[in-house]
Formats: sequence, structure tokens, C-alpha cells
Amino acid sequence: MQVFKLCLRVLKKNIPSLLIYVVIFLAISLIMALAHTNEQEDALFSPSKSNIAFLSAEETPLVRGLKEELGKVANFVELPDDAEALQDALFFREVSYILRVPEGFSERFMNGEQVQLEKTIVPDSFSNAYLDLKIDQYLNSARLYVEQIEDLSQESLVQYLKSDLSADTPVELKTNGVKAADHVYTNYYFNYLAYSMLAVLILGTSALMLVYHDQDLQRRNACSPLSPGSFNRQFFLAILVFTGLTWFLMVIFCFLFNFKNLVNINAVFFVANSFVFAVCAAGISFLVGNMVKSESSIPAVCNVLTLGLAFISGVFVPAELLGSSVLKVASFTPTYWYVAANNRIAALASFNYASLQPVFSAMLIQAGFALAFIAIALVLGKKRRLE
Amino acid sequence: MIVRVKNLVKRYGELLALDHLSFTVNDGEVFGLLGPNGSGKTTAINCILSLLEYDKGEVEIFGRPMRPDAYDIKREIGIVMQNVAVYNELTVYENIDYFCGLYVEDKKLRKRLVEEAINFVGLKDFKGYYPKKLSGGLLRRLNIACGIAHKPKLIILDEPTVAVDPQSRYKILEGILELNRLGATVIYTSHYMEEVEQICSRIMIIDKGRAIATGTKDELKAMITLGEKITVESQHITPGQLNRLRALPHVMEAEYKNKQLVIKSGKGANNLEAVLDFIKKEKIQYGKIYSELPTLNDVFLEITGKQLRD
Ligand SMILES: Nc1ncnc2c1ncn2[C@@H]1O[C@H](COP(=O)(O)OP(=O)(O)OP(=O)(O)O)[C@@H](O)[C@H]1O
Ligand SMILES: [Mg+2]
Repeated sequence: MQVFKLCLRVLKKNIPSLLIYVVIFLAISLIMALAHTNEQEDALFSPSKSNIAFLSAEETPLVRGLKEELGKVANFVELPDDAEALQDALFFREVSYILRVPEGFSERFMNGEQVQLEKTIVPDSFSNAYLDLKIDQYLNSARLYVEQIEDLSQESLVQYLKSDLSADTPVELKTNGVKAADHVYTNYYFNYLAYSMLAVLILGTSALMLVYHDQDLQRRNACSPLSPGSFNRQFFLAILVFTGLTWFLMVIFCFLFNFKNLVNINAVFFVANSFVFAVCAAGISFLVGNMVKSESSIPAVCNVLTLGLAFISGVFVPAELLGSSVLKVASFTPTYWYVAANNRIAALASFNYASLQPVFSAMLIQAGFALAFIAIALVLGKKRRLE
Repeated sequence: MIVRVKNLVKRYGELLALDHLSFTVNDGEVFGLLGPNGSGKTTAINCILSLLEYDKGEVEIFGRPMRPDAYDIKREIGIVMQNVAVYNELTVYENIDYFCGLYVEDKKLRKRLVEEAINFVGLKDFKGYYPKKLSGGLLRRLNIACGIAHKPKLIILDEPTVAVDPQSRYKILEGILELNRLGATVIYTSHYMEEVEQICSRIMIIDKGRAIATGTKDELKAMITLGEKITVESQHITPGQLNRLRALPHVMEAEYKNKQLVIKSGKGANNLEAVLDFIKKEKIQYGKIYSELPTLNDVFLEITGKQLRD
């Protein structure tokens, strides 16, 4: 195990530069953890009304009824119907929810067609979940009436709904409110992991691969009685151990900060998803390590790659605030799918196949990326050795 | 016979780097491979060690054919590469321990061997240093220690003294002779003829991938017609005197340049005496007179028509 030991020593020499990323990550996580405790208390004891922009292309009794219903749990903010102004309002948290009723909505709804309201939200806000619930309730009940009663007018429908909905609202508030709040911090923590863990893995793995590809050292090792097969195996074992250890340590800290919110099934999925991402990150690092030619270029490559991926995939800025073209590009990166899976996991309330399916497919996509990266890296590495 | 190389041919595209190179190295020898830059020394070493594929030829080490997977042969070889090959992330001690560990599994034995190697190259005070902190000479010594710590039977050193200060050079050469006394067979490549003359028991001179002469240094010098080189410092010599000097028996060449008369004479005794008699007879005023025996450079010059070092 000489070579394995060698790799650990090479990594040990690189610990200071790796530690910078870990320390910053932990500091930010800790600050967020402290901030989050306060936020959570607020949410529990004084459920405040959230701000919503209600943009409707039509004025019908059905829409008026919906607005009135939402008025019980939200404040309406008047905003110009302009994409940039709306994005700004979301970004500065003037509103956390933008609801848009498209032209012809009421008529198609009354005809029993499948129609949708368009929404844009600040993610992970528990009041949004509550608004969603309110809107669903209103529309689902309305749909029931439309299906059951022929030639129902909008005015009488709204009357029925009003009396129905005033009865059962308060019960829903408590159960849903508390549950949704639980995963906000965990969600942030694991999303942010996509940046820090990737940075640490790229730095460490590249340092190893640089040593591996040094031609003079390769020749020197080839003179020894150690077979190339054994040499390679020990090297890859070292990369695996390094990846596993990094993942384990960085996930463990979340439990230290946030233990009480992690004894649930959601946490299992967060951890599983982060593991799949770690394997994928190892693939990226392996690929980068096979491409860098000099020690001095590693930090630059690492920063550009990790920051870039994190930005376009919604690690720092919520995905809802990014343009759709950015997200389209991002969907060709594993980070995007990792973050998407995390956000889904945070919203999971039941664990049946239907609700888990998107989470599983996001994980599968990441695993696919991992395989692709490793395959490309192996081809490049082979080419480089033959040069 | 420790190493036997037969008709080795290696091409780099158009360039013929080794041209039917053949030689043998016997047990207990310090075998020198002398040649100018680019003559194919490193290529030859790399082919012998199966680090490079060659186009033709055979290599046997310890009587067995050498192949990339001949690990039992590799175990008995110590190699010091021309390019220093050490890990920058490892200290002096850790580097030697790593390379020694590729050959020696037993931890206790290895610890002893590493300590011995450190003392042998005189790096005792630098054990905890990282290679980046070492001077050129000390780095070369570390490179050597990494190659010889496991006490191999055959040691191959490829220009281990390039860019090394005189003190380190002296230490390295002494060390190589010491290893040889302790029983190792040594192959030593260099383009410094003084070094090769100083430590090698047998020398092969190569040029453009071809062996041009092999033998002990005396044998090599005996191969050429030059016997002695006599230099006379003098203020004035007439062309007539120069011609008469050239007519003397044994004098092969006489040249007067920069107030120096250089006379190359053939083999045989009394060359110097004959020149002194001539000077007296012609009443030539002179300063210093000295005589030199031929060097390996003269051997190289006479065979190839060019200087060993440019
Ligand atoms: N990888 C290579 N590709 C192409 N040509 C090469 C390669 N390696 C060496 N050569 C050429 O082969 C010839 C022999 O090179 P080699 O390195 O064996 O010489 P050397 O005697 O070791 O020289 P030096 O004293 O400078 O180390 C040189 O002309 C060199 O340019
Ligand atoms: Mg060379």
C-alpha cells in the first residue's frame, strides 16, 4: 500500500487549501442555522400574512371569489405587469408570490377544461406552501361543483364556495405550516454543499492526478517491481476514500447543527441525494484532474467551475429567479438536478411512488452524469499517458 | 554477465536514436557510457529498462530477458534518472521511504535501509525538508538516495551530476565507488570525460546512437595514434623553424598560434626530449614547456572529427 499511503500524504500536504473551503462553508452554515432558529419561531407564533401580486387578465366572479379568499391569508401588493419589475419585487422580497390568471380562465374552467394558474414564487417559504394549499382548495372545490351541477352560474358557485371554505381552513394551517418549515435549513445546507463539496473534491483530486500524470515520476515508478495495475488500483482507491471521507464529514456537520430536523424520512433522502452527487462530483474532479496541466491552474479552474455551476443551478440564487434560458443550460449539469432533487425532497409530505418519482429520476440523471464524466476522463487519461 | 545488449535499434520517427548498439556489462564493473548531448545515452538506458519500446534488438539482465513485467529483475535494479524524480509533497525521508518501499516490504528493514541511505548521501540534517527547499546539489543527492536505498545488485545512474556544485559532485562520485566496492555493478552515463575517467573501469563512447569505441581508458587511448601533446610558450617562431619541426620523426602535427607552439607526437618514448633538443639547437626563446597525455576528448576527436563538448 505504498502508493495509497503516498496519495494520503499528497492530500495531507493539500489540506490547508481544502480547509479554506470547508471552514467558509461551515461558518456560513452555522450563521444560517442561527438565523433560521429565529425565523422558525416567528413562523410558529405569529403566522404573518405573506405578500402576493395578483395579476388577472380578466374580471369574473370566479376570479373575484378567489382573490377574496386569498385576501384572508395574504396582502395584495400592486405591481406593474412588467417582467423586470416582477423579478425585482421577488428578489427584494416585496412579494413572495406572483399569481397570474390567464385570459379566458374562468370560461374554460366552467366548461370543465383543465386549466392552470401561473405562479412565480420565492422558494422555501412556508407561507407560499399555505397559499398553494388555499388556491388548490378553492379550485378543487369549485371543480367538484362544476362537475356535479349542470348550468351552474359563476355567481352561485362562488356563494357555495364561500360557505364551504370558511369552515375548515384553520385546521390545515397548523399541520402544514410546521411541517414545511422543518426542511428549509436542511434544504439550504444541502444545496450549498453542491458548491463546497465539489470545490474540495476538485482541489484534492486534481492534486492527486497531477502527481499521477508526472512523466518523470511515472517512469521512475515503472522501474520498480510494482505492477502498473496495482499502482492504478491504489490510486483510485485513494480517490474513492477521499471522496467518501469528504462527503461523510460535510454531511455529518449538518446533523450537528440541525439534529432535531433530521430525524425523519426527508433527511434520509437528502443524505442519499448528496451521496449520489458526491459520486458525480468525484467524476467531475477526476475529469478536471485529467485535464489540468499545472499546479498553478488548479485553483482558477476549480473556482470558475464550482461557482459557475452553483450560480446557474440555483445554489446561491433560487432557481425561480433565474431566466428560463439559464435554467435550460443548467439542466445539462448535474448540479441542477441535485438542487432540483433537494427542493423536491424538502417539499415531500408523503412518500408514495408518485411523489418520489421525480426525486429518483433526478438522482438517476446525476448518476448518469457521473458515469459519463468518468468515461471521458478515462479516455483522456489514456491519451495523455500515450503522449 | 550482468547486462547484455545486442543490436538495439530505436527510432523516434525519422531520427535513428540507437543504431545497432551492442555491449555487455560484467559483474563488479563500473561501466561508463560517454557521449555528447543527444548521443542517445538516456534512450539506451530507457530501452534497457523496458521503459521504451524499441524497434529491434535484445536486452538481457542477470541472464534473463528484460521485459516490462520482469518484476523479479526490476527488484534488483536501482535507478537514478537524469530528470530528478521525487515527490514535492513528501519530505526527504518520506521520499526515500516511498521508493525503498516499492522494493522492500519489511518495515523494520526498510527503516534501517532508509537511514543508511540518508547517511550515505549526507542528507542527515535535511530529513524533514521538502524537495523544493533543497539546493540543486542536495536534490541530486536525494534523487540518488531514492534509487539506491534498497541495496540493488545493479545500479544505473543517468548523468547524476548535471548542474551540481563541485563539493556535491565529489561526494556523489566517491559514493558511487563505495557502492561498487560493496558489491554493486554500476552503469554510469555522462558527457563529462573527467568523471568517466575517474570512476569507470570500462568505458563505451557513443555518438549518434552508435558505439564508436569500448575499453578501459588506457585501451581507448591506445587506440589512437596520438601519444603525447607538448606545448611550448614562445614569443617568436619563424615559419622555417615550424617546417623543420614538422619534419622531425614522431611529430604528427605542429601548430603555432597565440604565442603557443602545440606539438602532437605519436606513440613512443623520448618525444619530449627530442623537442627540447630541437629548441636548443634552433636557439628558440621559450617560457613554459609542458606535456600532456591524451584525454578521452582526444580519442573522441580523432575518431569522430569533432569535440566531445562544444
Ligand atoms: N521522445 C522523443 N521524441 C523524439 N526524439 C527524441 C525523444 N527523446 C529523445 N529524442 C532524441 O533522441 C536523441 C537521443 O536523445 P537522448 O536523450 O537519448 O540523448 P542523451 O545522450 O541522453 O543526451 P543528454 O546528454 O542531453 O541527456 C536526441 O537527438 C533527442 O533529440
Ligand atoms: Mg540523457
